[in-house]
Amino acid sequence: MQGDVSDLSRYDHHAARIAAWRNRSRRVRYVCYFLITALIVWSVEEIVVADTDWSRISWESMLRSAQQFMSVDLSIFRSLMGPALETALMATLGTLVGLVLAVPVAWLGAMNISPLGRTTYVIGRGLMTLSRSVHEVVWGLIFVAAVGLGALAGVLAMGIRSIGFISKTVAEAIEDVSPGPVEAMRAVGASRFQILLFGILPQVIPVFIGNVIFEWDVNIRRSTIMGLVGAGGLGLALHRQMASYNYGGVATVLLVILLLIIAGEILSYYARKAVI
Amino acid sequence: MSAILEVRDLRVSYSAGREILKGINFSVEADDFLAIIGPSGAGKSTLIRCVNRLVEPTGGEILFEGRDLLKLGESEIRAERRNIGMIFQEFNLIERLSVIDNVLTGRLGYTSTLRSIFRAYSKDDIRNAVRLLDRVGLVEHLDKRADQLSGGQRQRVGIARALIQNPKMLLVDEPTSSLDPKIAREVMALIREIAREFGVPVLCNIHDVDLALEFCTRVIGLQDGIKKFDGPPDKIDKRVLADIYAMEVL
Repeated sequence: MQGDVSDLSRYDHHAARIAAWRNRSRRVRYVCYFLITALIVWSVEEIVVADTDWSRISWESMLRSAQQFMSVDLSIFRSLMGPALETALMATLGTLVGLVLAVPVAWLGAMNISPLGRTTYVIGRGLMTLSRSVHEVVWGLIFVAAVGLGALAGVLAMGIRSIGFISKTVAEAIEDVSPGPVEAMRAVGASRFQILLFGILPQVIPVFIGNVIFEWDVNIRRSTIMGLVGAGGLGLALHRQMASYNYGGVATVLLVILLLIIAGEILSYYARKAVI
Repeated sequence: MSAILEVRDLRVSYSAGREILKGINFSVEADDFLAIIGPSGAGKSTLIRCVNRLVEPTGGEILFEGRDLLKLGESEIRAERRNIGMIFQEFNLIERLSVIDNVLTGRLGYTSTLRSIFRAYSKDDIRNAVRLLDRVGLVEHLDKRADQLSGGQRQRVGIARALIQNPKMLLVDEPTSSLDPKIAREVMALIREIAREFGVPVLCNIHDVDLALEFCTRVIGLQDGIKKFDGPPDKIDKRVLADIYAMEVL
């Protein structure tokens, strides 16, 4: 042991400084709490209280709507099998388009292998952001305008929308590969392409496949609403039932969507387990 | 004996002007098993990586069979790398590939792009890979994935991968640091045997002085980028070691 324990008083000015600092940070915290509360109150007032037609809302009206939706119209169930299949296929094709296009984008967007360094890196990252920042429904609208109504527009929309996530995760995996195998491949005299193929690809394949399966799962969800913008599948059926005020039918479509998503989830769970 | 490798006034500096190697001279003869010893940070690893230009030197000459490697372009250096096998501390295998596929990557420098996509190596390459795996005692593991092997076994795969290149020289970077003492000794013995069998000189980084003295025919002592010693192992005594490692007592 060093020093004189009885002489702790010489640390008093440190203690005073800590107390002052605590007081200050407490004050800052209270101001923050106040500002956050004010913001919440203001938003509720502005967008809920002032913007809602309160005269329309009553227990009866809510019960009535609930009842309308509860009376599932099973008569259209069989006619939904076609659109359901179309939805699943659309998601699958969309994912395939996405995975093929994601490979070059990931190559551009991985700093360590980007062909022309910073320039192509920025292009790659830009493409990723573009793909992700535009909503799938907006992509759907764009492709419906480009190739007309139908499932093709949905496939393209989801394909483009899928690039972002797959290429971003793969590019990051490429940036994180362990350098050892890459060094070994350089040392045997491999070309740049062979280094990619043997030094890098085997290390990122699990990430790539895992995320493609995940994206497929997400695309099944996305493709169920693609029909709302005229891009085929269950969304179209949903739109039709809504337009004819058949709430029972809407409920049936929602049920089929739910079943499809559950099926997709189960399938992707086993697929991922099999691969990784 | 003529020198296979001659290094003259080799200099390396990384950014910020810090010099890692400050003018190194040495040569490797055809039957040398040359050990480079020295404290961590002395530049051993950099030195060995300059020879096949995994690290770009900033000055000097590296004459490999009389040809200055520092003057070669990208594709010429790739062709020369085929003649220089390398064995690594962390083995640097491709974990998800089978043992035999890992050995065959040693042939990539001789394989066209198209063939390498389909891993369509020539029949002779495949036979040769099996023979070498048999030589290093792993022939019954050839279809296992590399990540299922133990450390010592992985290093043997690394040795086979270097040998299938038909190298004229072996670079060996801390081959035993990731292994326990018994396996380390076995691996060193295997490298020595194989170097004799294939008639190739070895340039080996090693921090374990005892192993260096036991297996090597010549020792270079490196300290802070400067060569402090160059001679046979029996010339190394406490005083020389103290000089290389810059310390009073061993």
